Amino acid sequence: MATQPKPVEIGADYKEKYGFFVPEEYVFKAKRGLNPEIVKEISFMKGEPEWMTKFRLRSLEIFRKKPMPTWGADLSVIDFENIFYFLKASDKQSKTWEELPPDIKATYDRLGVPEAERKFLAGVSAQYESEVVYHSLQKELSAKGVIFLDTDSALREHPDLFREYFGTVIPPADNKFSALNSAVWSGGSFIYVPKGVRVDVPLQAYFRINAENMGQFERTLIICDEGSFVHYIEGCTAPIYTSDSLHSAVVEIIVKKGARCRYTTIQNWSTNVFNLVTKRAMAYQDATMEWVDGNLGSQITMKYPSVYLMEPGAKGDVLSIAFAGKGQHQDAGGKMIHVAPNTTSTITSKSISKAGGRTSYRGHIKMYPGANNSKSFVKCDALLLDDESRSDTYPYNDVDAENVTLGHEATVSKVSDEQLFYLMSRGITRAEAETMIVNGFIEPFTKELPLEYAVELNRLIQLEMEGSVG
Amino acid sequence: MSFSQETLERTELQGEPDWLRERRRAALADFERLPMPSRHDEEWRRTDIAGLNPASFARFERANGAAPAPAPKLPAGVIYEPLATAAANHAKLVEPVLFTLLHHDRDRFAALHSAFFTGGNFLYVPDGVTVDEPILGRHFSHEAGTSVLPHTLIVAGKNSRFNYLDEYIADGDEGEAYRSGSAEIFAGEGSEVGYVAIQKWGRGAWHFGDQRARVEKDATLKLFSVTLGGKFSKNRIEASLVGPGATAELKAIYFASGEQFFDFHTLQDHQVGNTTSDLLFKGALQDTARTVYAGLIKIEKHAARSDAYQANRNLVLSDKAKATSIPMLEIDNNDVRCTHGATVGPVDPNHLFYLESRGIPESTAKRMLIQGFFGQVLDRIPFEEARTLVETELESRIG
Repeated sequence: MATQPKPVEIGADYKEKYGFFVPEEYVFKAKRGLNPEIVKEISFMKGEPEWMTKFRLRSLEIFRKKPMPTWGADLSVIDFENIFYFLKASDKQSKTWEELPPDIKATYDRLGVPEAERKFLAGVSAQYESEVVYHSLQKELSAKGVIFLDTDSALREHPDLFREYFGTVIPPADNKFSALNSAVWSGGSFIYVPKGVRVDVPLQAYFRINAENMGQFERTLIICDEGSFVHYIEGCTAPIYTSDSLHSAVVEIIVKKGARCRYTTIQNWSTNVFNLVTKRAMAYQDATMEWVDGNLGSQITMKYPSVYLMEPGAKGDVLSIAFAGKGQHQDAGGKMIHVAPNTTSTITSKSISKAGGRTSYRGHIKMYPGANNSKSFVKCDALLLDDESRSDTYPYNDVDAENVTLGHEATVSKVSDEQLFYLMSRGITRAEAETMIVNGFIEPFTKELPLEYAVELNRLIQLEMEGSVG
Repeated sequence: MSFSQETLERTELQGEPDWLRERRRAALADFERLPMPSRHDEEWRRTDIAGLNPASFARFERANGAAPAPAPKLPAGVIYEPLATAAANHAKLVEPVLFTLLHHDRDRFAALHSAFFTGGNFLYVPDGVTVDEPILGRHFSHEAGTSVLPHTLIVAGKNSRFNYLDEYIADGDEGEAYRSGSAEIFAGEGSEVGYVAIQKWGRGAWHFGDQRARVEKDATLKLFSVTLGGKFSKNRIEASLVGPGATAELKAIYFASGEQFFDFHTLQDHQVGNTTSDLLFKGALQDTARTVYAGLIKIEKHAARSDAYQANRNLVLSDKAKATSIPMLEIDNNDVRCTHGATVGPVDPNHLFYLESRGIPESTAKRMLIQGFFGQVLDRIPFEEARTLVETELESRIG
């Protein structure tokens, strides 16, 4: 492996944009491209059981057979043969702070992110100084029987529990990118919450030190046993810098009888990333699944968190916002699949497009025969900040059940002149007024976030509005 | 007989000018070239045409292309003739516009319609002319196993005003058959055009209809579409707003029962700014009927100050009926007002309870609620004759 790898091809404007690229020096790296040998090598390097190796190989077969999706964003520029599918975790930090793009550093400064956290976010360091917090948290969790590990360790330490649930919510054949993830996955979080246990502190990926939690093909599996509760937070408001330009995660969640799970994402990848993620939860009797999903970064995002409402009384919620600036396309939304009677779901989507950015809401509500007396409501609001930007709405509503109520509403508008006038007549500048209006527009989202995230998100929106980011 | 070159050159279609023959030939080439749409095409994903082979209906009815129903006394300059006659008599008016809105390369069915259309009318209302009486175009089918493919072409001159009705009527034929009923409407500057289409073919018909309009500066189109007949009906209703001040009102009702399948595809195409479109599709489903509504509002980049509204409401009256609703938006300009909504649901139990608590039997109460559901939109039918016709028709079906 003497040759210096070139930066990956997708997001080709990356070099012009940042004016430099990060030299990579890896101790071990899999070869570029994708074939059974590489998949076997990944599995071997991780010391996985045979069933997982077979699962990966089978997934690779499926990936090869599946055509690229022809809807949504333009993905034709992705060259699967020109990507490194596995980089050994400890080698990922071989970058230095100085080498980071200046605008990323500037954003950290302006967001007031602490130095140690910045380095972690930037991938410079995998050590984050929450070690102390993490240890006391780990102690508390294990006393309750909660398992919170990275997915690779979970496969080693809890093989039976792992095998029982892994790949049951999102099978490899679900779509081309879930097949790709199934073949080459690495890292992610594994959470098991036992019966009746409530985890009061939100679990955050970056509490978990020394692990690849923001990998390229991470795989997260959360199991909420009967009557339990957990809130998991993925990502953060500060831009996550990565030189990998394809991010394709799979998140599987099982919410058993009477349990509740909330999964909060704040995605702020740097704008060279293609973010193609499959997220799905199965909610059983009287269970509640809530996706709180914020998409700010990336060049292209295609992500539709979904809930399968499997048993009576199950409830699903998606609350999502998307912000698309210059050159960005956020194709996001949600899916609610009603299988059982007396199930309810809501999707609330807010999107903001600016400086030629494009946001699309794409959603699917399906009520299967037998999902009687179910209710679903979808509301989409889009804000267009200038006449270069674009907003689309593609809601698919299929009703095959009896006595169900389904509603969909959407509006597209600009910042209203009346609101602007009101604020400006009180001496607020136009830019400030617009920022206030945008922050007000996404308030239903921010108020669902833990305080520190909400504050950071508001600050970030302010930066985006000033056009000083990306 | 088959849908082939040979059929096209048959004597029945002769007497047509060469330019029209050429157009038919081009459409036939598309028909032969294009594959049947498959479930992989987004527009056809929920539309099952597996049981359809157009070739098995390659036979025309003799009654096709007969003179239109007696027209009211029309003001001077108004032309109202069978399309085939008009193509020969008024080539200067017909040739530049015929099949410029309905593109035969769009799919196999549009190609078939364009290649073999028989019957249908041409209506031309000159600049500044108002026609008080509505003009009623009626298209009949009599036999199963045949194709009936009427085409309507409407050209509204500047500041003209009139109402037109296309009624597609089955005269006793209930067996399997192939039908289409398409219209191209050119609403000239400042014109006011009311257009109503009522489709009540036989229960065995496969129906493909395209209604496309081009609405110029300050013109107003009020289109109302009613779908009741056929075992399968696919209807595309599309309006392009091409001049400032253009307004399109697109309203429709459908009532699907038995094993009927209705598919609607709409487009509100705002090509320039200061344009308005208002769409409302209301449908009721009972038995094992299925309906699909997919509509798009498209606001082009420079179409500032556009105002668009789109709503689809479905009343599901039985547990086996299925409704799909896909209201879509593509907005490329920020200075617009766009709202859309969709609902699918049963008769409101509270409403039913209210009526029943006043001693009204359930079946009557339901009927009243269905009438109420349609009532709001029936008021929007642009002229009285059509309103009465639709109300009567609906009445007999709800009952």
